[in-house]
Amino acid sequence: MASQPHALSYVGCNFLRQRLVLSTLSGRPVKIRKIRAKEESPGLRDFEASFIRLIDKVTNGSRIEINQTGTTLYYQPGLLYGGVLEHDCSPHRSIGYYLESLLCLAPFMKHPLRIVLRGVTNDQVDPSVDVLKATALPLLKKFGIDGEGFELKITRRGMPPKGGGEVIFACPVRKVLRPIQFTDPGKIKRIRGTAYSVRVSPQIANRIVDSARSILNKFIPDIYIYTDHMKGTSSGKSPGFGLSLVAETTNGTFLGAELASNPQGQGTAVLPEELGLNCAKLLLEEIYRGGCVDSTNQSLVLLLMTLGQQDVSKVLLGPLSPYTIEFLRHLRSFFQIMFKIETKPSREEPQGGEKVLMTCVGIGFSNLSKTIK
Amino acid sequence: MEEKDRKKHHKKHSGPKADKKRKRHLNDLGLGDDEDARKRNPKAFAVQSAVRMARTFHRTQDLKTKKHHIPVVDRSPLEPPPVVVVVVGPPKVGKSTLIKCLIRNFTRQKLIEIRGPVTIVSGKRRRLTIIECGCDINTMIDLAKVADLVLMLIDASFGFEMETFEFLNICQVHGFPKIMGVLTHLDTFKNNKQLKKTKKRLKHRFWTEVYPGAKLFYLSGMVHGEYQKQEIHNLGRFISVMKFRPLTWQTSHPYVLADRMEDLTNPEDVRVNPKCDRKVSLYGYLRGAYLKNKSQIHMPGVGDFAVSDVSFLPDPCELPEQQKKRSLNERDKLIYAPLSGVGGVVYDKDAVYIDLGGSHEEVRPNHELVQSLISTHSTIDVKMASSKVSLFMDSKPLGSEDVENQEFMMPKEEKQIDLKTGRVRRKAVFEEENDDGASDEEEGQDEEMSEDEMDGSEGGDGDNDVEGENDKEVPGQELGLRSAKRLKREETTEETAVELPAFADSDDDLEMRSGEEGETDLDESKEEAEDQGDEESDEKESSDSDSESSSRRISKFTPCELGRKDKERRENHNLDHRFSKKVVPTTDSGNCTAEEASESEAEGSSEEEEGSNDDSEVEESNKKGIQSAPEKNVDGVEWAVSKAVEDGDGDDDDDVENLLKEEEEYGEDNDFSVDTAGALKWKEDLTQKAAEAFLRQQQSAPNLRKLVYGTVAEDADEEDDADEELGGLFHVSRPDKESKQKANALDCSKFPVETPQDWDLDEVMNSIQDCFVTGKWEADKDAAKLLEEDEELYGDFEDLETGVVHKGKPDGSEGEEEDKEGKEPKAGEEEEEKKKRMDKKRKLKEMFDAEYDEGDATYFDDLKGEMQKQAQLNRAEFEDQDDESRVQYEGFRPGMYVRIEIENIPCEFVLNFDPHYPIILGGLGNSEGNVGYVQLRLKKHRWYKKILKTRDPIIFSLGWRRFQTIPMYYIEDHNGRHRLLKYSPQHMHCGATFWGPITPQGTGFLAIQSVSGTTPDFRIAATGVVLDLDKSITVVKKLKLTGFPFKIYKNTSFIKGMFNSPLEVAKFEGAAIRTVSGIRGQIKKALRKPEGAFRATFEDKLLMSDIVFMRTWYPVSIPAFYNPVTSLLKPVGEKDTWTGMKTTGQLRHERGIRLKQNKDSLYKPIVREKKHFNKLHIPKALQKALPFKNKPKNHEKKAKPTKDQWRPAVIREPHEKKISALLTALGTVHSYKIKKAKLNHRQHLKDYLKRKHKEEEEKFKRQKEAKKKLFRIMGQKEKKKQKSSLKGSGEREK
Repeated sequence: MASQPHALSYVGCNFLRQRLVLSTLSGRPVKIRKIRAKEESPGLRDFEASFIRLIDKVTNGSRIEINQTGTTLYYQPGLLYGGVLEHDCSPHRSIGYYLESLLCLAPFMKHPLRIVLRGVTNDQVDPSVDVLKATALPLLKKFGIDGEGFELKITRRGMPPKGGGEVIFACPVRKVLRPIQFTDPGKIKRIRGTAYSVRVSPQIANRIVDSARSILNKFIPDIYIYTDHMKGTSSGKSPGFGLSLVAETTNGTFLGAELASNPQGQGTAVLPEELGLNCAKLLLEEIYRGGCVDSTNQSLVLLLMTLGQQDVSKVLLGPLSPYTIEFLRHLRSFFQIMFKIETKPSREEPQGGEKVLMTCVGIGFSNLSKTIK
Repeated sequence: MEEKDRKKHHKKHSGPKADKKRKRHLNDLGLGDDEDARKRNPKAFAVQSAVRMARTFHRTQDLKTKKHHIPVVDRSPLEPPPVVVVVVGPPKVGKSTLIKCLIRNFTRQKLIEIRGPVTIVSGKRRRLTIIECGCDINTMIDLAKVADLVLMLIDASFGFEMETFEFLNICQVHGFPKIMGVLTHLDTFKNNKQLKKTKKRLKHRFWTEVYPGAKLFYLSGMVHGEYQKQEIHNLGRFISVMKFRPLTWQTSHPYVLADRMEDLTNPEDVRVNPKCDRKVSLYGYLRGAYLKNKSQIHMPGVGDFAVSDVSFLPDPCELPEQQKKRSLNERDKLIYAPLSGVGGVVYDKDAVYIDLGGSHEEVRPNHELVQSLISTHSTIDVKMASSKVSLFMDSKPLGSEDVENQEFMMPKEEKQIDLKTGRVRRKAVFEEENDDGASDEEEGQDEEMSEDEMDGSEGGDGDNDVEGENDKEVPGQELGLRSAKRLKREETTEETAVELPAFADSDDDLEMRSGEEGETDLDESKEEAEDQGDEESDEKESSDSDSESSSRRISKFTPCELGRKDKERRENHNLDHRFSKKVVPTTDSGNCTAEEASESEAEGSSEEEEGSNDDSEVEESNKKGIQSAPEKNVDGVEWAVSKAVEDGDGDDDDDVENLLKEEEEYGEDNDFSVDTAGALKWKEDLTQKAAEAFLRQQQSAPNLRKLVYGTVAEDADEEDDADEELGGLFHVSRPDKESKQKANALDCSKFPVETPQDWDLDEVMNSIQDCFVTGKWEADKDAAKLLEEDEELYGDFEDLETGVVHKGKPDGSEGEEEDKEGKEPKAGEEEEEKKKRMDKKRKLKEMFDAEYDEGDATYFDDLKGEMQKQAQLNRAEFEDQDDESRVQYEGFRPGMYVRIEIENIPCEFVLNFDPHYPIILGGLGNSEGNVGYVQLRLKKHRWYKKILKTRDPIIFSLGWRRFQTIPMYYIEDHNGRHRLLKYSPQHMHCGATFWGPITPQGTGFLAIQSVSGTTPDFRIAATGVVLDLDKSITVVKKLKLTGFPFKIYKNTSFIKGMFNSPLEVAKFEGAAIRTVSGIRGQIKKALRKPEGAFRATFEDKLLMSDIVFMRTWYPVSIPAFYNPVTSLLKPVGEKDTWTGMKTTGQLRHERGIRLKQNKDSLYKPIVREKKHFNKLHIPKALQKALPFKNKPKNHEKKAKPTKDQWRPAVIREPHEKKISALLTALGTVHSYKIKKAKLNHRQHLKDYLKRKHKEEEEKFKRQKEAKKKLFRIMGQKEKKKQKSSLKGSGEREK
């Protein structure tokens, strides 16, 4: 008799993760129609199916209905359960694809989540595990998600197309989140990074480091880029290399950038020097965009602000990415929350591009899954 | 003269003031107080014991920390909603009288009947909503959840009643509001002593229930049916200065205690189907937390609903604006109680309702209902008819008749003759629509209404006409004739109104309005509302000329209100042919408010968006990538165009936007042709222009908000509607709305850089130079600058090591110099100077504070500070914004007077509406609308007489809800297993699980067996708290599987009958089994032969008669039964008779079905046979062998004494008897004497011995002393002797 809230309806497979995550958190069912309805191979892809399976694993009592062709998905969320889990991610997308959503859900489980994810750790499409570790985790800490069991460990590295990487993600459970006032990014005090290479010459990592430093040294001397060459079983199934860079500011803002080599058998080979240079430039671009949170984590910070207590949270962002913009719309339809968006024009002094100040009042979310004794 | 009358000043002899004085006096005299003792005699206060010292320290610390509460962010709004005062008590205790007296005390008005909540202004900063709570337990539960203050009336002549205790317990469970007891009926006591005793007894009982020291008020007696004025005044004072503690549930959920209800259902729908679901608007102050539009709410007693619309209205009972006076003006003492019919005039979002007073009361008994029906208007079609649409720029405007001609769906006509009026009604029946009534209206009122439309200045009577017309439609009520009459009457009143001088003062206002019809805007309408608000209060003051004021009110209708009303109506009736998309040139739009305009724009722009979106897609397909814009994306283009279109409609006058006018108009013109004609050539042009426009926009003032959220009024649903509307005229195959977001594109959160900058260039590099620590810092953070400031602060100082003397700059010197230089910038300079000084002061103060507080700044203090800061931020963040936009961000904030529209409410809610029952709208948090398994910690109430049975349906009150469900009771074993219990324990907590609404953990609940009927017993069956929420459960019950041995070896046996197949056995291999006699064993392996038999080993050999069993645990399923208590839907007068599912026990009792019991489990009287033991038989051989001692002795039986052996009874003669009696008496006396003498003798002896002892002692003492003396003398003698002998020798030597 308790009326099940009206299901939200969407079209197309884009932003599938957002929709499922928000649906799980808000408890509203969601229906997605016309998933690749007009393409040659209609319906959900492997990686999406794998994502849905992952959502099913971390929840209890959720109902998922997919039609014959896979073009329609109905999802009625259950309660977030957590616990010790394992999941084999599809090698079509990197672990970052799955991890991004898990980062949103993990603090609100019944039991602390400890999950082993297997698949591709670094690719060219999604934010890699390295960058998420360096940028998203400190971000979560600002909301009070912290403590012993909060870690992201890369045990094996796997490059596309075959993957073979392994990541352990553990996150404690919180009942409520802290509101944040994060409007001053501070000044960049150091740049750190990881140049990794698997199943290629270990020298490549050093070449990447040198070229990246050549640019970054003009701005700041405190740069350290680790070289991470993995061997044997921990090197996955495909060769590849790449670089991820993170700039840390005095106020605890982390801005990340990354590049990975083309997967084996796809595209032309990339020179390590070129990759290093480009990645450094990407980092500078990210710094130019600026804000207190980098472009990949914008949606995460906005979500956590939304799920805070009924207090005002503020964050300064760089230009909003299309993904974030859609996320904001979704936030409105799932949580009836609107952000106050104020643009801060770039000042005369060189501080990078224009910034956006996002303000919201949290919805007073509390973790309904957590048991009290 | 005055001085004489004045009372003489009396010195205080007690109290703090007197104490202070006394102390001062003593000090003056030089006699110190307690503290001086410490100084005088420090040693007395020195540490005696380190342990005790430590203990006292610990104790003080404990006491200190005990006082701490976990600090919470203070989220109370600046203008708080009225305090909810619930007056509760058993019947006939004087609740209504108290409310009436309180209202009279605060407002000087007398209410005859009180129905529903009454809101009054009680002081400059406080309003009260007073509501009476009946004895229905449903009402008690609901009101306990929303109460801020409970006035608990107790009949002193009777004492406490069950209701009082029940209510107290309900309060305890749902957060404890402030409770104040009020003793009434004290005048029934004739004896003063008795009164005192009763008071004391009741007070102490009350204290044990609430808290020691809880305030209990005494209302001594009645005067003319009212309580004594002074006492009520005091009570009022108490209430209006009371402070409240925030309650968790109330502060985390929005809620409304509705004080008004309107039915907005289309009257025609009601006529067609009187049982159709209703659309209802409810009004009230929002309390608790922020309420979001479209959120879920629960109405206790009705059910769960989604809010279809929320809007805020001007406060009907405003707090007076700041004034210096201590007391309230008579004008500010407002009262608002629409359900009680107070005030006469009520303002709605779109209309003003007038209560015409006493004469109409009798005619319209259910005034609320009818009024609500009146307020729903169905004249939209008339408007539609008069409005004109131009589809294309130069085309002739289309009237509704044109459209009707083209319509494909013709309404069938149905003639109906109205029996009452004799009017022929033609009912138009659409196949799927049911707004046929509207079109019928159209015919009748066409001219009239269009007239109203045309000149808005006469809007007032138009509105009333609408009401009149609507009356006719009300089904099942003979209103036709009357309404016609009323219509006429109102017209006349209108005429008189024109002549009245009262109208004259507002005349110019009206004229002005009609003059600037085109540009009426929202602000004006607001002003208007305020004006009316003022007048309302005026009216209350002088309530003599009722008719006059009402006519004034009629005349006060403004065009803008009408416009808003139109819009409202349009929405309400959900008409499918809405032309609002392109309505701009209609006659209607003249008096439309800005709000409406913006809405129609919104719709228009959404259209435009889609169009432009098409364009961009086409463009993409043409491979004309837009590389020039750095942040180019599809959304961007859309936004630009949508914005542009809005400007085209012409509200904002932004310069930049004006620049874009050309393109906009161009875009607008071609919008439809985009869809119809497939021309591509100009499209490229358009997008390019749009792109340019976007760029320019971005450079000037980019409005990201619109980019993200679109225009505010726009809504997903509305867009859908828009599509349908268009469907009436055209069918355009257009890609879906979502297609603009590239529905099936790659789902990736990365934000790729599309146009990388050349980071080798110096300028580019410089652009981020300052993002690094190596770059330039802002003034307030630069180390060098900070140093400088410090210097300024501290002035001159000398470096002792080097001996250099640093001199601080004299502060004023700079300014002075500058002053001398030029006079013009003096003011500015001064200002700056002042600011500087203030800054400096502040900084110094901060430093001092930091230094001062550092000593005992604890974690607690820090936390508190943090919370305070957050609270400040919360208040300040949206303060400067107007309510319209603020509501968008925050939601509706508590304290606002809101109107909440809800659809699909069961018709019984409206039909059986009883204002005496509170209507509460409780907001639900996220996923609190879902259902799942809820785990509780539960304890049977100690006053409830029975225990609770598993699987018996019971009614819970949890969160906002009251519902019936079937709980299972369990207890947690030591290993964490949840074992099912058949009954709840008597005096212990147990667990309970049920299927029901998900409610946050930590929420309290209570359970009742039934909400209907009356019982003298205590009704609350159990209380507890929610522990966990889940979608599955883990309650198990014990299941014993039994088997029998069929073959026994030494320790191994073969067991059969426990399982049915070897597979089952395999599952339980290794499981522990046991016999009834206690021999333990283990299942080993399945046997082949009898199916399901197995081999088992035991610790001892079994008997064939042994039963072997295994303990297993079987998961229990919980029935998914959740049945909300819908007590508000019951007919009036029967609202306390809701019964849900009955327990099996009740059913059996009702139907007289006796449970067939197993004969074996019946109790029978225990009949024990007398145990008969056989004789001990010792074999003869043994007897022989036994020693004599143990040999059985064969005693012969003693013969009975023969008669002669009996002693004869002696029967005495009376004389002898006398003698013997005397002798015995003498003997007794003698023996007593002897006894006494013995005692005496003993006593004497004792005394003698004592004396002797004493004498002896004395003698001994004496002897001792004598001896002592003797020995001393002897000793002296000896000494002398010795001395003399020594001397003698010495002398001899000499």
